[in-house]
Amino acid sequence: MTVLPVVRPEPRRVPRWVGSVGWAVVAWVVALAFFLPVLWMVITAFKPESAAETWPPKFIFTPTLAEFRLAVTGMSPFLIHSVLATAGSTILVLLLAVPAAYALSVYPVRRWRDGLFFFISTKMLPIVAAIGPLYVIALHTHLLDSIGLMIILYTAMNLPLAIWMIRSFMLEVPGELLEAARLDGAGRLREIGSVILPIIMPGLVSTALICVIFAWNELFLALNLTVTNAATMPMFLMSSVPQEGLYIAHLAAAATVASIPVILVGWMAQRSLVRGLSMGAIK
Amino acid sequence: MTVLEDLAAPRRDAEVVPLAVGRRERWLRRLPLLPALIYVVVVTQIPFVVTLWYSFQSYFWDQPGGAHFTGLSNYTTVFTNASFRGSLVRSVVMTAAAVIAAMILGVAFAVLLDRKFFGRGVVRTLIITPFLVMPAAAALVWAGPMLDPNFGLLNYLLAPFGIHHVAWLSVHALGSVIVVMIWQWTPFMTLIVLAGLQSQPPDTLEAAKVDGAGALATFRELTLPHLRPYIELGILLGSIYLVNTFDAVRLMTNGGPGTSTTNLPFYLYQQVNNAFDVGGAAAAGVVTVILTIIVATFALRMFARVFQFEEARG
Amino acid sequence: MASVRYMSATRVFSKGTPPAVDALDLDVHDGEFMVLVGPSGSGKTTALRMLAGLEPIDSGHVEIGDRDVTQVPPKDRDIAMVFQNYALYPQKTVAENMGFALKMQRVPRADRDRRVREAARLLDLDEQLLDRKPRQLSGGQRQRVAMGRAIVREPKVFLMDEPLSNLDAKLRVQTRSQIAELQRRLGITTVYVTHDQVEAMTMGHRVAVLNQGQLQQCATPRELYENPVNQFVAGFIGSPAMNLRTVQLTDGGVQLAGKVLPLPATVRTAAGAAGLTELVIGMRPEHLHVTDGSGELTGSGELTGEVILVEELGADALLHVRLPEGGTPVVARTEGRKPPAPGREVTLHVQPDEVFAFHPVTGARLAGQA
Repeated sequence: MTVLPVVRPEPRRVPRWVGSVGWAVVAWVVALAFFLPVLWMVITAFKPESAAETWPPKFIFTPTLAEFRLAVTGMSPFLIHSVLATAGSTILVLLLAVPAAYALSVYPVRRWRDGLFFFISTKMLPIVAAIGPLYVIALHTHLLDSIGLMIILYTAMNLPLAIWMIRSFMLEVPGELLEAARLDGAGRLREIGSVILPIIMPGLVSTALICVIFAWNELFLALNLTVTNAATMPMFLMSSVPQEGLYIAHLAAAATVASIPVILVGWMAQRSLVRGLSMGAIK
Repeated sequence: MTVLEDLAAPRRDAEVVPLAVGRRERWLRRLPLLPALIYVVVVTQIPFVVTLWYSFQSYFWDQPGGAHFTGLSNYTTVFTNASFRGSLVRSVVMTAAAVIAAMILGVAFAVLLDRKFFGRGVVRTLIITPFLVMPAAAALVWAGPMLDPNFGLLNYLLAPFGIHHVAWLSVHALGSVIVVMIWQWTPFMTLIVLAGLQSQPPDTLEAAKVDGAGALATFRELTLPHLRPYIELGILLGSIYLVNTFDAVRLMTNGGPGTSTTNLPFYLYQQVNNAFDVGGAAAAGVVTVILTIIVATFALRMFARVFQFEEARG
Repeated sequence: MASVRYMSATRVFSKGTPPAVDALDLDVHDGEFMVLVGPSGSGKTTALRMLAGLEPIDSGHVEIGDRDVTQVPPKDRDIAMVFQNYALYPQKTVAENMGFALKMQRVPRADRDRRVREAARLLDLDEQLLDRKPRQLSGGQRQRVAMGRAIVREPKVFLMDEPLSNLDAKLRVQTRSQIAELQRRLGITTVYVTHDQVEAMTMGHRVAVLNQGQLQQCATPRELYENPVNQFVAGFIGSPAMNLRTVQLTDGGVQLAGKVLPLPATVRTAAGAAGLTELVIGMRPEHLHVTDGSGELTGSGELTGEVILVEELGADALLHVRLPEGGTPVVARTEGRKPPAPGREVTLHVQPDEVFAFHPVTGARLAGQA
């Protein structure tokens, strides 16, 4: 290091704030580019069909709700089915997952690792492999094309992830709180109810949110096991795809309508969603 | 402390359940687990058992006579069938490409989001949204408004670069499907990696600053090793979901052109719905399950670290 | 060459709040062990981080050697720092931790290994530990690795941020002397932050006492003890703490325990010149003597009160004595053998020139002696 005989302040080469601004610009550009398809979907949905099929694509046009009106005709039964299947399966998932997570975290069973692995393994086996036999079973138990069947299957679909997530939230409850409750004479049920549940409530919301997203968006099972009585929104979307011809605006409108509920819920409960997807790490 | 512990911090709590837990206590502990366990066993294992049974039957939906025993003939068909092998290979390629690309993008986005800047919350919202979009909707939007050869946005954006009116879904079908898979799952990877970035103890980063490490050196020497368990978790979970991709294939290309985008889920779907071959589909399904178990065992051994962190309290 | 100068260095965290470090002027001589001490929020850690370059300096300068480093990034300041929680790199081995800075400076591997081994020897770190990861070490071992990481660099200045606070009491006392000895041996200028005034007094060549971002006094431990410049320093330095009481001025001294406690003339004059009717006086427990009634010390102040608590320390005992006018009990140190029992009345004597007097509002010392 050279030693200067005279004290002279060393000037900053670049002011501090330039880094911040540069970073923000890059982040915004990247985010907007990534978000572009969604934006384009919504914009296209407001176009009359004639304005959607142009070259170059139009950015300025007179917006209309015509395609939306077309898109939502006949939507209500599908909507109702989706709401019932999603809500029903999410509630059932929580009812089953909370005690299971408890048994795998707070007072663990001896072979908790095996238990956890078993649940995760059910997710690894592709459901597609059993779709044929599933159909046959559903047929013979008279459950084909019923909301009940969808609730049963969606619950099984989301249960492993829910157990893993809720378990990780339970592990965050400080041990001292549980010990204090035990000393106060709280039985196991009381312990879950008054101590654990209030603390992990945000985590439960996150888990429920993720279950809602997966259940609402699920296509494969709905496609193969429902016809009319339990057909969900993804099925509605598929039915909007015409056999012949191009209907870009119509598709965009249908896609928007189908996706909007989950997108809005996800935006509003963003904190919860982020917390859930990062397994409780980002608060 | 969450699912993934920082490697530096030793766990305070005891790892092993003390042996001195009486019989009654052990049963009481098992009780809460039973409802979920029984439920999952019934709902997932029964269909699997039935699948196994049907795999040994010759059962065609559109033919009279029901199912009759046929031994291993379905399995022979599966192994000699080029379509099955093809779809298997394609599944592996699609999943691997999508997972790796989504993770790389995820790390990049996470790094971007790890620093405070103006409108960071909004940027995060924008980045998360593709994950929320209904996969069926995403497939349709990409197939139509985005990739249409004549009216699609992508061709418009690429025109200045000399790329004109490409029929993406015909010429680059597999790539297009993979792009949509990546688009939808990058947010998932981003958030997991972001969790890892934010769990880095800030004073180690300061120590690196004092020790003379620049931004790149710090990332390479400290951050990436720290992120390793998070990245592994993301890859594991992402693969589980991505290998089952169905919506994009069905709605963008319907498996084509030809069979160039047919992956395993789509192949099995075709077997059941078009060929009405319950027996054959069942056998293919069983083979799929066995292969998945083999891969998963290897993967889990590699990713054992993820489970190492699952320390329960006693 | 490696002196350190803070020149009016200031750090304000957010506009409108008082500065965390307020116009700090401090000179650390080359090779000196300077301790920054003060309660939480006093700005000592912030001042250290400003020297490290981890905290921006809003106004003023900081110099290392004769070089103004105010805008220089940490890695170019030729400093090494020991963090409170050690900040060891979790995925690297002990050897890699200690050699990291050298690796960043592109020192060839052989040299790196040699210097790491030397530092390990200096700190009594077993060779076997070099290949372990931090999580496999005990707290004391980790602390030494953190020190080793700093020593290996042979920097111009050592910065230490409460490096002993995470150790248990016994280990702390042991390590304290080891650090002081190490510094003496290596002769590297050290700036050391702690909230523990015992650490400050035993380790530092000079000690800088900070409170609420402002430097109160910077002097040798002895000087701080004998000549505190204000009430804060007087009450902070010394264990057990000095007894401080607000009392009324009267003829010849102040009113205390129903009697007049005489004060030196210089103090009385100073008080009168400032127009004060009351003062804060300070008496150290070790200057309050218990008499058995025989051989009274002439001219001394007298306090009589009831013993409400006796703390046995072995060689000494601390008496908590409640004075007739009530208020906080006065603490006096006495011989450990046969201290007066609680409930008994006791008379304490103090010499007037061992009584400190402070301005009741500013806290400044009145008429300190030379």
